[in-house]
Amino acid sequence: MKKTAKNVRVSKTKKAAAGKIHPIIIYPFKQPNDYSDLEGLYGMVSRLAAEPESYARPLTVMDRKTFYTMEGNRAFLDFRDNAVARHSEILDAWCVDTCQMWYEGLGAAFERGAENDVYWLIPGDFNYGTTGGQEVLGGLHDLPEIILELDQDVCVGEIATGHHNSKHLIDTYGTFALLYTWFPSEAQEIRQFTERPRSEFFAIRHGFLREALMQRWYPYEQTVVMLLQAVFSKKRMSRFMVGNISDLPEGREPLAPALQQVERTERVLKSVWRERNQFRSDWVEQYRQLEIRSDQVRRAAFTILQNHLT
Amino acid sequence: MSPGYQKPLRAINFICRATQATAVSLVGDFNDWNPISHPMKHMPDRSWLLTLNLKHGHHRYAFLVDGVLNLDPNAQGITRNDKGERVSLVPVS
Repeated sequence: MKKTAKNVRVSKTKKAAAGKIHPIIIYPFKQPNDYSDLEGLYGMVSRLAAEPESYARPLTVMDRKTFYTMEGNRAFLDFRDNAVARHSEILDAWCVDTCQMWYEGLGAAFERGAENDVYWLIPGDFNYGTTGGQEVLGGLHDLPEIILELDQDVCVGEIATGHHNSKHLIDTYGTFALLYTWFPSEAQEIRQFTERPRSEFFAIRHGFLREALMQRWYPYEQTVVMLLQAVFSKKRMSRFMVGNISDLPEGREPLAPALQQVERTERVLKSVWRERNQFRSDWVEQYRQLEIRSDQVRRAAFTILQNHLT
Repeated sequence: MSPGYQKPLRAINFICRATQATAVSLVGDFNDWNPISHPMKHMPDRSWLLTLNLKHGHHRYAFLVDGVLNLDPNAQGITRNDKGERVSLVPVS
């Protein structure tokens, strides 16, 4: 039997009983016209909310800009009241971007959590209303369960994408190429586990989340930074395929945002590198050399993305 | 849960396509990574097969191909075993 959102049930293992799972849903920044995908998602959230022994009250992070843009829209307000607020607690927050929504949500859930708990990030802007989406929803719970059952620190969910999908292109020619430039050994370790170092699907253990929250929180590419931190501190890492699913048209990445993603990744990796190396006497010279290589990598990524996405 | 309740088992097919191998066994948490307890059967198409009943949950495993630990390229997940080796992951529901 294929797992679907309707037959999702948490594992009742000995280890699962030791910690609660905190679902954190990132509400789409741009409200889609059709609610079928969000209805699919909140159908699953309602089932999580009905299992308080296993799950903490789900938390939905909603950007205030989303709310104010839609405050005159009856369908939105009804959905917010009858689905979102009914099955989860809404965390209204002013956020500059999705990463700040993660930070708000993970931070708020962390403060309610305990030592053995697990935090499960669920992005809202995917096509959960489709058959494939329902199948993915039925398997997403594997991410936190793997952490509990197998005593892991972080579990990254991967989605299947084609070779010409912008996410795949960005990760192959941008993210990994830059990672191999700035952090070659860590990049190898990360790639042994995942081809999607920017995945929005993941679950993280309380202790590791504490470390991640307490460190500098970069304004973007949080999954990449989290995976680097996991390698730096030798955390137990897993990867799990969550299936075939695509983000909604509002969230897709044509050329300009794809280029921006690569630029952001480079900026973050430079910052992380400087933070880790600025105490060495020869860091400036090495940094300059890496910058030259990084610039070449970014330019090559731009050319490849331009060829594929225009 | 009533006393004596047993977690249901589900039959899982493990298939290893090591066509040149002379011996393949299945190792994992379910057999304490014992290299000889679960030999796989050589099939007419030269792949190796073993059907195993596993209980609900997530199981770590790998193929031992002529004594060398191999990941399952078709596995749904990757993690590490207690020895720090990269191994495959199968969910059973």
